[in-house]
Amino acid sequence: MTRKLSVDMLTRVEGHGGVEVVLDGTEVKDVKFNIFEGPRFFENIIKTVHYEKIPDMTRRICAICTASHSLASIGAIENAFGVENTRQTDLLRDLLIHGEMIESHALHVYMLALPDFLGYPDAIAMSADYLDAVKNALGLKKAGNMIHTTMSGREVHGMNERVGGFSKVPTEDELTDVKNTLESVQPAAELAVELFKGFELSAYNESDNVHMAIDPGDRFGFLGTHVLVSGGERHPQEDYERLTNEKVYRHSYAKHSTYGGAPFMVGALPRVHLSHGKLTGTAQELYKEHGDMVDPRNTLSNNFCQALELVHCVERGVETIDALLSDGLEDEGLAEFEAHEGRGINAVEAPRGLLYHDYSFDEDGCIEKANIITPTAQNAANVEKDIRVIAANHRGEDAELLNNLEVMIRAYDPCISCSVHLARLR
Amino acid sequence: MKPRVGIFSLTGCAGDQLQILNMEDELLDLVSHIHIVDFQEGSSHKEDGPIDIAFVEGSVSTETDLKHLKEIRERSKVVIAFGNCAMEGGIQAMRNNEGSIDERLREVYGVEPGYFDARLSKPIGEYVDVDINIPGCPVEKEETLRAITSLLHGDTPTSFTYPVCVECKLKGYPCVIVEQGKPCLGPVIRAGCDARCPGLGLDCIGCRGPVDKGSGFAAEFDMLLEKGYSKEYILNRLRVFSGEVNDDFLEEEER
Repeated sequence: MTRKLSVDMLTRVEGHGGVEVVLDGTEVKDVKFNIFEGPRFFENIIKTVHYEKIPDMTRRICAICTASHSLASIGAIENAFGVENTRQTDLLRDLLIHGEMIESHALHVYMLALPDFLGYPDAIAMSADYLDAVKNALGLKKAGNMIHTTMSGREVHGMNERVGGFSKVPTEDELTDVKNTLESVQPAAELAVELFKGFELSAYNESDNVHMAIDPGDRFGFLGTHVLVSGGERHPQEDYERLTNEKVYRHSYAKHSTYGGAPFMVGALPRVHLSHGKLTGTAQELYKEHGDMVDPRNTLSNNFCQALELVHCVERGVETIDALLSDGLEDEGLAEFEAHEGRGINAVEAPRGLLYHDYSFDEDGCIEKANIITPTAQNAANVEKDIRVIAANHRGEDAELLNNLEVMIRAYDPCISCSVHLARLR
Repeated sequence: MKPRVGIFSLTGCAGDQLQILNMEDELLDLVSHIHIVDFQEGSSHKEDGPIDIAFVEGSVSTETDLKHLKEIRERSKVVIAFGNCAMEGGIQAMRNNEGSIDERLREVYGVEPGYFDARLSKPIGEYVDVDINIPGCPVEKEETLRAITSLLHGDTPTSFTYPVCVECKLKGYPCVIVEQGKPCLGPVIRAGCDARCPGLGLDCIGCRGPVDKGSGFAAEFDMLLEKGYSKEYILNRLRVFSGEVNDDFLEEEER
């Protein structure tokens, strides 16, 4: 006789999703990562909109990765029109994306995932016994948001980063304040590693995973033009359609991706696994010490990798500000260029993995066609693979299975709002 | 007894509840004054029973959203439309005047009508009574905190009844329409942001939604036409955060 187990609404994840498993004895008959977040049709609504306002719209796909979307969007537009940016713009953008990682990872690692490992329903309840951890989390998150506010104009859905540069370049004093704040939260970032290195990775979740992440160039980071795949493959970002083959399923407003017929994973674990040699400073030291926590076959490692990235981001933020201050900040205005007919594709690493924006423009620079592929949509098939693995390995109570599934899904740091409504316009 | 508070989300980006979590300095103090009975994004703890204050973010975009919203209304004393999606239908409502939901499903997902339970994005006020509106995409932290404080003291939160231009003038920013010919929506959009965009040298994109239900849209439309912007361009600006605003002025334009 078959029986169906389900979590109707996942909690402590961004957006609305559920999980469903059909078992016959211990045999897994069917699994579903249900996504019932409503569709928002972004690729449709941005059609005919002038390029200059596109990032203001597409960043609203997601609140927690708003700057990732705006930078992916700006980059795609700049690639379409051949915009050349200054070193100052590149450094400021690098700082912004690192700030976004801090804000998002601090929230996820400490306030959404950590309660799973310490046995609390949420961070507020956890604060009764772990007030210090919660205060560290809030301090770290605030530092990330301070970068958002300084660079982008506010914490959520900023506006200051534009096609061709920044509308208002931050002052030296503002950047010095950010630097001081980052230095003050360095211990909070290291504490996250300290906490997560102590949690044993459950073996029930082990299986082969194909990883994909951006090639960050010489140093660990989140911006680049090529995509790395486990096994040493490297592809230009323009090949993204072949890397993500999307398909529609009734149980999900998010399309599912596969590569070479198999699911794959994006996010902190793939980034650290594929590019750990490019980490520097304390992050590299901590990797050397606790690298065994980075298990490519166990997606639960993602939490530890996010903690490690927090350390990287805080240190890199300080370095980037030092570079900006030593160059001296200039009110250089936006780069000059002419909009024309054309297509631009850009990939960036959002906190939860690879994100692609692809736009085609008419001769006035208005959108004719758009395609946006988010990390959680790419991960959806791999999540279902993990559900299958965990369910097949499970021999205990049903309630325990459902809890294990929820913890696994949460470890991906899914952003379900992002994952929907984003599909190819034909 | 502490008021029982629910924080709910329908279809949107979850940016308004994120603004609650972004109150890093006030969060612990704030939650000590309320009893949270439902906060799916932040907690696994959930209670049934009556709710004193329900924050509802997101628009109604699926049958599931609608059912959820009606259940929330049923058990809540005060329902707050929290943010632009709940208040105006959000960015996903900007093309409600153009084409049906079925066409969009076919275009984006390549599926036939009925495959999903989607419907046109609507503000929550379309289906249930709303007691308080907190505008913004996203909501302002300070405004939200002020509203919560008012409610905790048994007062009704105040709202901004004048446009962004007023704040822009008070700040002494140069007018980006007059000085730079930018397509600023400040004259018709609700204040409360301290004219953040003009302060950065940018034109207002309207994220706090129309002030006074869109009065002045016709004049704004004419002004931008005069500045040389096309009809399509202007509509693509005006509608982003004002999906449900009546556009009778267009018909006058065409006469």
